[in-house]
Parts: sequence; structure tokens; C-alpha cells
Amino acid sequence: MQSSSTDPVFLSAAEQGRLIRDRKLSPVELVQAYLARIERWNPVLCAYITVCADAALAEARAAEQEIAAGRWRGPLHGLPFGVKDQLNTKGVKTTLGSRILADNVPDHDATVITRLKAAGAILIGKENLHEFGKGGTIEFAYGQPRNPWNIEHNPASSSSGSGIAVASGFTSGSLGEDTGGSVRSPAAANGVVGLRPTFGRVSRWGGVMYGWTADVIGPLTRTIEDNALFLQAIAGHDPKDALSSTRPVPDYAAALNGNLKGLTLGVVEEMTWPQGVNPEVAAAMEEALRTLEALGATVTKVSLPRAKYAVPLQLLTSDSDIAAMMLKQWRTRWRELDVGTRTRLAAGCLVPAAVYHRAMRGRAVVRREVLDMLGTVDALLCPTSLNPPGRIDATKENVDSAEAMQQKVLLRRISTYPFSMANVPAIAVPAGFTKTGLPLSLQIAAKPFDETTVFRVAHVFERSTQWHTRHPDLTKLAPAAGKESRS
Amino acid sequence: MKLTPDQTRMLAATVGLDIPEEDLENVTLRVSALLESMAQIEAALGAEMDAVEPVPPVFPREDF
Repeated sequence: MQSSSTDPVFLSAAEQGRLIRDRKLSPVELVQAYLARIERWNPVLCAYITVCADAALAEARAAEQEIAAGRWRGPLHGLPFGVKDQLNTKGVKTTLGSRILADNVPDHDATVITRLKAAGAILIGKENLHEFGKGGTIEFAYGQPRNPWNIEHNPASSSSGSGIAVASGFTSGSLGEDTGGSVRSPAAANGVVGLRPTFGRVSRWGGVMYGWTADVIGPLTRTIEDNALFLQAIAGHDPKDALSSTRPVPDYAAALNGNLKGLTLGVVEEMTWPQGVNPEVAAAMEEALRTLEALGATVTKVSLPRAKYAVPLQLLTSDSDIAAMMLKQWRTRWRELDVGTRTRLAAGCLVPAAVYHRAMRGRAVVRREVLDMLGTVDALLCPTSLNPPGRIDATKENVDSAEAMQQKVLLRRISTYPFSMANVPAIAVPAGFTKTGLPLSLQIAAKPFDETTVFRVAHVFERSTQWHTRHPDLTKLAPAAGKESRS
Repeated sequence: MKLTPDQTRMLAATVGLDIPEEDLENVTLRVSALLESMAQIEAALGAEMDAVEPVPPVFPREDF
């Protein structure tokens, strides 16, 4: 069922980095191994839109020479990373998953790209996404992204390729973007780790971040330690981003040596056991809670009755923010946009200003409730998704009735939006599998800028459960499916 | 508030958007659902919303 964690492509980034530092693993061979896998299986999975093969190999050779000369830069030196095709990359096409930006080649790198490159990491490719980085795409301009655990199933949105690439052994780590759940949901669906950092912790400059009160950039990785290493490299104040925090960046890796004794973890009832939660998700959650208690945490049930309002409030405001920035294209290139994108964001365009204003007040009320609760517990818990990854055809957000709008657009996002709205860090961590082998995920959130507690809890859980050591066996994929998926 | 397709078309015209007929019902359903959700939120949280500032949660120098 699974490939081995000892295969270099599936080693954690931290372990790869240690081997590269000790010159027991060649960055060139690592990049070559990833490129070979991408060449073979990306046509099926559609994780990447653009692969930077020649540049990545050249940078790997340079890294190898630099390390051999005694100039090792740190734990990410020589490691490949992919990035959601929403972040600008100098000289590399940046499409946002849209046909209308098929020829867009930026003249600059986003700050996070600059920082990863300064750490010695190597850009291996631009990853597939829902158009403009928002969920709800029906037909993908650059191929239907598929879940590597079962290609008939959804890899979730919107940083879909970023989750697929990490799970499939196509990269050491990825960067995604999260407005309401776009890092955490693909991490959950693909069985990897995904962090939404606190808004302001990571510079947004150079990303197409039109959801200006919610969009954050976060890492997707195979382990918690890897996630801490990637966040360490990209976090910190950036004068180019007026909303980036000047707070010092803590040593995230130092948080990974802790235990759970003395911590109180609150399970959010409304986000864990609402009507309609999948029984296998509920069972995995119960098992996760037992594990955390056995590891020394005090687990208590808490209630956030206003959490249910987070999804419409976020759509009323962030979708409007994004739509307002895209209005010019909407007016002139409507039919070139995917039907899911254009109808969702057209709705955002039509939200009256008075309603937007009231929704912003509503967001403040919901946020206050989450923050007040985090004053009584160290972290909040819930499943990252209330359902295992569904079949692709069943999870398309076709809106043909009021019921479809409720079920496919509003209700399914309940697990992730409240933490986005509260501007708290939240992580998705592997928490088991369904009987049919699809990943399940636990979500952990903490106070603003307290990523260390998120990492601490997640790391202890990860070490205890070992779900992260399982990887999808791509040799069983049907090659024909990729050809059919290309649009 | 449940909009009609004609109302959606007029609303779109105010922002210079001409929504093709085949997408009009879809957009109408989406906007209507959002406005109906907002009406429910107003009923539940309206008084609390009156008492807070609509400040976005983006405080680069906020202390927690």
C-alpha cells in the first residue's frame, strides 16, 4: 500500500538536510529523483503547472559545490521546494491557475521565495491550484489535480498541487496560500502537514493576495519538524508588506522537544461533532483525543456557538475583496474564466457595501469568541475536515440550487474558516486513514503568534502516532487517467 | 433576501458587469444565499455587531 520512508524522496526535509550537510546525500541526485517522479506521475496527478527542471538542476549543482567548499547555509540548503502558482517567481510563469494569465512571467520573486532561496533551497516548480487561489474551480485550465491516495478522489482546495506534491514525493516541501483553509484542507486530504501561520507572521509581498484581511502563506510538509524549518526560513517582518509583524521570530525547532504535560486542549464541539460528520472522521478524532490524553494533556470540550457564522462572513468579505481587484478582468474576459470562479467571485462583486460593512463587524464578534476561548485553554482541536476526501465528481461546487449552495459551499468549510477569521495559527496533522485508505487529519489552533504551541502539540502527536510515515504507492496509478484529466 | 435573476442583472450593471444568461441563475443563487445568511447573522448577533468596530484582524503590532 505504501512506499517506504527510507526512500530518499520520502525522507523528511530535516533528514534530507542533515544528510546533505554531511555529504551523504547529493542535492543533484535528490533533484533528479524528484524530477523523474514528476515526469512519470505528474501527467496523472497534475500537481505542477510548471517544472523548473534545468534551473533546479543547475542550482543543485551550485549547492553541492558550495557545501563541498564548506559553505553550508543551513537545514534547507540543497532541498527542492514547490510553490503554489499564486506567488510570483522571477522569470518563471505565474498563472494563478487561470487561462487569462497563461503568459504572465513576473520580473520579481515574492519575499518568501527570496528567503527560501537565501536559505539555499531550490525552486523545483509551480504548483497547480484552484483558479486565483480560491476554491470552487470546476474545470482546471492546467489539468484536474488528483489525490495520490486514490486518483478518483479530490485533493482538496485550493493549494491542491502543493499538497499532492509533498505527499507524492515530488518535492521536499511546498508553500501554499490559505484564506479560509487552502493550506490546511489539501494537507488533510493528501495526508501531510499544513500550517496556516498567524496573519502578519509571513510576508505576503509578491503573492497575489487580494483577500487582504485573510490571505496568508504557509508551508506544507511531510513532518512537523519540516514545517517548523520552512516557517523559520520565511517568517519575519518585511518592510514591503505593511501588515507584516515586527515581532521577533522564535526558534520553532526548539518547541519540538516538549511534551504535553500541563497543557489544556479544548475540543470545539461545533467543529468536531456537528450533524453530518463522517463516522470515520469522528472515530479518528476520538482516537486522537485518547492519544493526546495518554500523552499527558488535559482534554476538555468547549463550545464556540458563533463559529457557524464564519463561512458566510468570510465569503461576504474576502470574496468581495478579491472580486473587487479582479473586476476589470471580469468585465472583459468573463468566458475565459472557469464557471466556478466567475460565478463565485461575481457574487462577491455584488455584495452591497452596507452588507460588507456589517459582515466585517460580524467577523469581529466571531473572532472575539475564539480569542476569549483561547484565553482559557492552550490550544483548540477539531478535525481539519468533517469528511474524508470525496470523489472528484461528487465534490465539484456546481451550484444549481439553494440546497447545493448550502451543502457544497457553506457547510463544508466549517472546520477551517473560524480559525482564519480569528487570525490564529492552525495546523493540519495526519491522524489516520479510512478503511479505504484515504487520509484523515487533526487540526490544532493556538493564540495569535503562538505557532510554537501548535508545533509542540502536533509534534508530540505525530511522534506518537507515526501516521506521517505512510506514503501513497504511485506505481499503482493508471497512466490513462492523466490523459483523460487534461483539459 | 432571495433575489430574482432580474435583480441580480441590475445589481451587476451597477458595477459594470454583464452576466451572461447561462450564469445568471448560478450567481443569483450564490448572492441570495449569502444575503440570507447575513440576515440570520444579523438576527443572532446584530446587537453585538453594533457594539464592535469593524476592524479587520490584521494587527502587525498587536499584543496578545
